[in-house]
Amino acid sequence: MITGFITFFTIFAVVGAILYGRRLVKTEKSDAVFGNPERAKGGIHWVVVGSSFLLLSWLYYSWDIAKSFYPKSANELCQVAKVNESLLSLKYLFPIVERQHKSTAIIKRENTNIENKIILIKNDSNLKSQDKEIFIDILSSTKLMIPSLTDERYLEDETQNIINQLTARLNKLTENFPKDTYPKLNEEEKYEINEGLKKQLGWGATGMEVPPIPESTRGLKFHAAAAELNSISDEFFEMRNHNPEYLRKSELIFSEIKEYMDGLDDGLELDYIKDIKKLVRRIEYASIFPPKTLDELERAIRSFDKVQKKEQGNLKTIDIFLFPAGTIVASGPQCSEAGPGRWLPKPSDTFRIFGEMLKPSVGYKMIPMLWYEMMGVNRIVGFILPDWIADIMPGKYPVHNQSGTVDPNFKSKILDIVTGEFEAFKIPVPTGHIWDSFLRVFLGLMLGIILGVPLGLFMGLNRFAKGFFDPLVELYRPVPPLAWAPLVITVFGIDNVGKVFLLFMVSFSIMIISARAGASGTQLSKIHAAHSLGASRWQIIREVIFPNSLPEILTGIRVAVGMCWGTLVAAEFLAGTTGIGFVENVARKYMQYEVIWITIFVMGMLGLIFDLTIRKIIDKTIPWRGKG
Amino acid sequence: MKKTISLFLGSLFAFILSATVAYSAANEVRVAFFLEWATPNQEAKVKKVFDDALGVPVKWTNFATGGEMTEAMLSGDIDISYSQGLTPFVNAVNAKAPIKLVDIAVTYGMGNTTCIVSNASGITKANAAQLEGKKVAVPVGTMADYVFKETMKVVGADAGKVSVVDMNPEDGSAALQNGDVAMACLFGGKSIENALKAGTRMLSVKEATDAGISGIDITSVTNKFLKENPGMVQTFVEITHEYNAKFRAGKSNMNIIAKDAAMDLAGTKKQMGGFGFPDAATIKSKYMNKGGILMKYLDVMGNMFATAENPALRNYSKVVTTKYLP
Repeated sequence: MITGFITFFTIFAVVGAILYGRRLVKTEKSDAVFGNPERAKGGIHWVVVGSSFLLLSWLYYSWDIAKSFYPKSANELCQVAKVNESLLSLKYLFPIVERQHKSTAIIKRENTNIENKIILIKNDSNLKSQDKEIFIDILSSTKLMIPSLTDERYLEDETQNIINQLTARLNKLTENFPKDTYPKLNEEEKYEINEGLKKQLGWGATGMEVPPIPESTRGLKFHAAAAELNSISDEFFEMRNHNPEYLRKSELIFSEIKEYMDGLDDGLELDYIKDIKKLVRRIEYASIFPPKTLDELERAIRSFDKVQKKEQGNLKTIDIFLFPAGTIVASGPQCSEAGPGRWLPKPSDTFRIFGEMLKPSVGYKMIPMLWYEMMGVNRIVGFILPDWIADIMPGKYPVHNQSGTVDPNFKSKILDIVTGEFEAFKIPVPTGHIWDSFLRVFLGLMLGIILGVPLGLFMGLNRFAKGFFDPLVELYRPVPPLAWAPLVITVFGIDNVGKVFLLFMVSFSIMIISARAGASGTQLSKIHAAHSLGASRWQIIREVIFPNSLPEILTGIRVAVGMCWGTLVAAEFLAGTTGIGFVENVARKYMQYEVIWITIFVMGMLGLIFDLTIRKIIDKTIPWRGKG
Repeated sequence: MKKTISLFLGSLFAFILSATVAYSAANEVRVAFFLEWATPNQEAKVKKVFDDALGVPVKWTNFATGGEMTEAMLSGDIDISYSQGLTPFVNAVNAKAPIKLVDIAVTYGMGNTTCIVSNASGITKANAAQLEGKKVAVPVGTMADYVFKETMKVVGADAGKVSVVDMNPEDGSAALQNGDVAMACLFGGKSIENALKAGTRMLSVKEATDAGISGIDITSVTNKFLKENPGMVQTFVEITHEYNAKFRAGKSNMNIIAKDAAMDLAGTKKQMGGFGFPDAATIKSKYMNKGGILMKYLDVMGNMFATAENPALRNYSKVVTTKYLP
């Protein structure tokens, strides 16, 4: 319902925004020539078109449009899929799915295999010529055995009867299938389906990917036909074309093989004869029939296929247009979505699950996505102040006295403060997967900026610094940060320290490069001007060089944010107990595609927020960029 | 405008192409397997017996976890997963993945999938409740995850209160040696060997066996392949059993197996000593029959790893078939 509304709304939005855009171009009186940045200003309506397009393709390719406009279609398509699945084995015998008859393909392949084996045997210098003869003899008679399967004269009446019977059953099904009275179910079957329907949830409900029990009369038809087809298919594959002529020949071959193998020790000969035996067995298993024998059956399958496709009616159109790049497939009594419907969850499901996960009591793996917890100020103080402050205080730590108590002294009181062992009011502190990931990126980025920018400026201004640090930075910079990950995790552990360090390494090199480029790119005339006005070195750096390199630095930060997110998720993949990457990795193992998309969505959102913030900072701090 | 249209058509074309590639049948059989997990049929793999017997080339790809095997099967890159853990299989069928269980590849005690607790942590079976709140490395959603949950039950600690770090066995054993985690649950010969340098088993092999903790690895096949090439599946299972029998008779070429499993000879022998390769008759009568060991495991594990989105199946016999056993 909501999805349907959104679909229409987005379509209207796209059309409306495009019309508005066209009109705007016509009415706008702008003297800006092509290339003038003024021309790129504004254009919210194009944002609407872009986002709507994104949303529409998501709705379309995740089959959410199909779900909202034809909520019963998945259930019906599931029944169709059952029919298709039950026919699959039989269809593979004929050039319906493949190009060749299966018999043809097998015979062709096995003839090649036999010839290759003969050549191999002939060329093997380790074999005795007398063994060679036996092997080649067996292989040649195997080749001669094939005609006994493909010659119609040898076909047994019994086999022909079974094929005829199955064909007749199939034809009868084809005949009955379009009738309104089909299928005739007995009470027990009806009861079973009705009972199942009571428990069945809708398409896409929690724990129900595709409802498998038929809900409509059309679905019931296909459901019943699938059962009949399955029994036909099973019966067909139980039958083998083992006529007396074939059995005579194969027994001869097998006895020959057995005779040869008797008393044979491990060795080359045994390997050969075993391979040959397998080849013979393979022909025994294969469903090889004379070329014309199965023609009637093939025709029956094709005509049933035609009828069932016709019976699908508008379902076929829905399948083609509303289930793009995939369809519903059946596997036994179950159905599942194959194609984008499987790995691209429906927006409605995704947001429903996201809403569920956002509840702090649910979260993911018992940790909320983003919430707060009350934390005493004492713990924060204890974390910030190093413990050794207490050690350097004068005096000694108290020792317990005879009455069994400990009297605190000045030194121990200091220790209590620096370790956070005191009562204090509590403040809310954010917590959860999203916060953890955010904090790691933020810390890594901040460290990179604080250390990287001064070093970069220094390198841009000083010959020594440039020469000294250049090899170091340039050697580690091109290495993909993830290549460091195993090492960093070994050295700094799997906790936050390792991850933050990895992110620091990423942002550090980027900040150095951008600050350095900014510093060395300052216009000489500006520096000269500052000099002649009597500026000191420090003033030149602060008032001229730093502002001039700000655009480069801020661009560097934007690049670094993106790189940090990429690295963080991979680092959380390697080892993690919290964080967006951890959530995604675990979801992957449980095949929770909705959760995977939620994490991707959250990361996109966080990246966007980061970027928007930096864009705001850029607008505020360097409004003169591009105008100087 | 022209460019926009061509771009749109191009992306559409790419979509259709990716869809057709997934559905077209290749003229080879693609099998997934594990390194560091020695099985007798690896001899057949090296000697190209499978290629000969199936009549088409067999492409073997090694994976780190069973979950990745499922992913590859779903995307149509793998036809048969050999020695997939029961846990990833259960996760896959809970998520309605169209795959079927056709054979039991390996049964094993806790010797080869186990939880190792670090010596430095001072935790043993007696005070295992101390693990609550500590970090434990577990490859989530694998057999080691199952063993972790079962072990916690045996020693009386609450698995929900332990902070689980999701790590592959190699990383987990390194983290245990570094002291980053108090316990690591692992599978694979080398990983366990390395972890034992810094720790001891939480439950000895015997204790675990007594507690009924053991692992089953299975052979799973995609539904599509099963429908298309039932004969090939049968042959694959048959050769595997043939080489299992050869191993039971002590006739396997251990050098070949060790090399293919990327382990040393002694380690391979030790690992395989802890493996059971049940024959077809045993599987039919004890494991895959109604109420058999495997079916019970499937029920237990199915509920253990069920999520709200992917609940346990009511009946796991629908995803198990004995039709292809010799």
